[in-house]
Amino acid sequence: MVSVAFDRLEIQGNILRGYRRNLVRHLVLEVRNRDAARRFLGVAAAGGSDDVPRITNEAPGRARPDAFFNIGLTFAGLRALGAPQDTLASFPTEFVEGMTRRALKLGDFGPGAPEHWPQPFDNPARVHIVASIYADFKASLDKAQAQVAPAFTIVGVLDGRSLPNQKVFFDYKDNISQPRFQGIDDPEQRRVDEPKDPLGTVLLGHPTRFEGLEFGVPVPRELGFNGSYNAFRVLRQDAAGFERYLTTAAERLLSHPDVGQLLPKGEEGWIGAGLDRVGALREIVAAQMCGRWRNGVPLALSPDSPLPEPGVSETNFDYPRGSTCPAGSHIRRANPRGGQIVQRIANRTRRLVRRGMSYGPDFDPKLPDDAERGLLGNFIGASLGAQFEAVMYDWINLGLQDPDITGSNDPLLGANEPETSWFDLRLRNGGHIRLRGFPRFVWARGGAYTFLPSLPAITYLSKLTG
Amino acid sequence: MAGESGFDTFVDDLPRKWWFKLLANWIVIPFWAWLRPTPPLPGGPRPTPQPSENVQRMMNLVMPLKDKSPLGRAYAAMAVAQNVNEIFAGLDNVGTVHFARFVVIGDNLCMISVYDGDFTNYIRDFIATVGSVFDAIMDLVEGGEAVKPCETKIDAFIDWIHAHDLFQAPDLPTDLFRLQDAARGVERKREPGLLRSLSREYILQLNANPNFSLGGGYRAYPGFSVAQVRQKLGVGW
Ligand code: HEM
Repeated sequence: MVSVAFDRLEIQGNILRGYRRNLVRHLVLEVRNRDAARRFLGVAAAGGSDDVPRITNEAPGRARPDAFFNIGLTFAGLRALGAPQDTLASFPTEFVEGMTRRALKLGDFGPGAPEHWPQPFDNPARVHIVASIYADFKASLDKAQAQVAPAFTIVGVLDGRSLPNQKVFFDYKDNISQPRFQGIDDPEQRRVDEPKDPLGTVLLGHPTRFEGLEFGVPVPRELGFNGSYNAFRVLRQDAAGFERYLTTAAERLLSHPDVGQLLPKGEEGWIGAGLDRVGALREIVAAQMCGRWRNGVPLALSPDSPLPEPGVSETNFDYPRGSTCPAGSHIRRANPRGGQIVQRIANRTRRLVRRGMSYGPDFDPKLPDDAERGLLGNFIGASLGAQFEAVMYDWINLGLQDPDITGSNDPLLGANEPETSWFDLRLRNGGHIRLRGFPRFVWARGGAYTFLPSLPAITYLSKLTG
Repeated sequence: MAGESGFDTFVDDLPRKWWFKLLANWIVIPFWAWLRPTPPLPGGPRPTPQPSENVQRMMNLVMPLKDKSPLGRAYAAMAVAQNVNEIFAGLDNVGTVHFARFVVIGDNLCMISVYDGDFTNYIRDFIATVGSVFDAIMDLVEGGEAVKPCETKIDAFIDWIHAHDLFQAPDLPTDLFRLQDAARGVERKREPGLLRSLSREYILQLNANPNFSLGGGYRAYPGFSVAQVRQKLGVGW
């Protein structure tokens, strides 16, 4: 059901449907001069000018701009713009506290602790706005940045890009599964058969998947309605460490008595042309950790080979009892779909819209290096607490949803420590081999919880006084 | 003890003297609390880095009754009795609750439970399952109407429950220094609180927070979730 009075043109872009551009630049902005900032926002929401980029809405239409421009505000940012006290008090606690104060819940400790975050995230009080520019050419990013600069203090610039073939570091194809929304036609999702999510999954003021339950709409309604929240995360990926571990695991598996149930002798070629046994086992470990082969083919539909029969869907599958996708794999943890979970009523209630791009230099597995690289991730939903944090805490880092994985963390991005980590590889006979001793491959290097206001809400903010 | 004077003994005995207690409770502690403001520490268990170190958690929810009389307590008993089946069925659907019970202690209606994982998910899923049933309870407790209906004020409701969940004193008493300083907004990185001022910190916290839970409590099978126990017993998770 789409609520009445819903106008797509009032929503910022990149929320309900993704942009798919080559490049992104996130500008981390501090509001030093309230008036300048408000003026900028007012013009940007009203369609832009020669000096101010236009905020891109949900339906940019045929006249695709060179650069797509969107903003999110932190709690500190709302305050810096002069939002009144009752408005500030109407935002949910996790947003008010901000990402750094939720560190333990998010697994941001050890190397990922906020104390180790570099500039600008070392000083959350100055992180007011994250403005994101999406474009295909660097010149468009530079142009928009030059337009933003006079109105704000730019405290951080983070550049990201799409890797070829829709890949992310660790060499997986990403951006396949996304929620799709009732009443929204997304050409990329027309063939997906997952149930559609109500708009309230991602926009405030609309019905949610929880019957009767509503997430608070900040006041005044003009500001809160059709808003959304984003967990913006700078996630460093240890690509060299990940590849190294795949080799270690594969070499250990070679002599495991049950390895034939993982990969019968002679089937190496099904995994990839020219792969030896270690090479094939590495791919199996990588696939099981993710729930998809690195080329995106889901284990739920094609457990034995990434080169499935033609016609196997990338998106249309579920997790029935005895599913061939390991319960501990990343995609099954992050979205257990219709599968049996402990939190019986929570199926499909913790959906996340993901809009991420990679940052850092290319990685060549033949010449592994430790350069800083990873994912600039946006995890978007109507409630940070009920969606992003709920997934991170109970599902990614505890495995509470299934007794067979409880006590273990997500093998790809969980807060793993070699002394305690474990992951059960699924065997063809239904048994398992337990992998241990893997380190943490992903940790935070920064981030912020932002509020993604609707266009009328941005206009409202631009008219604040005092 | 060698060198102990009569005066030492006198001072040591002070806390036992009635007039000293009076002085302490009415003058010294209020003045001291004013001098050294101590915010009540938040309720519930503190997160551990690895959630698996602390799968099972305790909730000691203390809700002061509006009507502090035998009649008021009787209303509370009735409200629970009328809704308890639905509430327990709801808890079953949440899937992460080991035990829960309602008790009346003094003029408070209390709900005491042991659950797995994150507190907010527990409460949110609970309200999503029982819907408006919990509103009947909120009608009877101080401040309850501000967060009613729980379903449409879910964020505020969760905050309210959190605020009424008892502070859980750390299992390691000296951790109280760190918590209290953090709540005061002062950073005490290098110099740990002197051990002998610990009882002072307790007094200040107990002054701000009259009810509290002493430590995290005993667990017969630590680290196991409800579903793991159910799975082992073959009673279906
Ligand atoms: C650097 C860190 C991460 C990497 C490398 C990564 C990688 C991947 C990959 C390869 C997929 C499969 C592609 C797809 O289904 O679209 C995926 C899916 C997904 N990831 Fe991540 N991810 C990361 C962080 C996160 C985080 C922090 C979360 C959220 C808490 C998350 C939530 C999801 C979700 C919800 C899906 C879709 C699952 C589905 O609907 O089936 N990911 N991720």
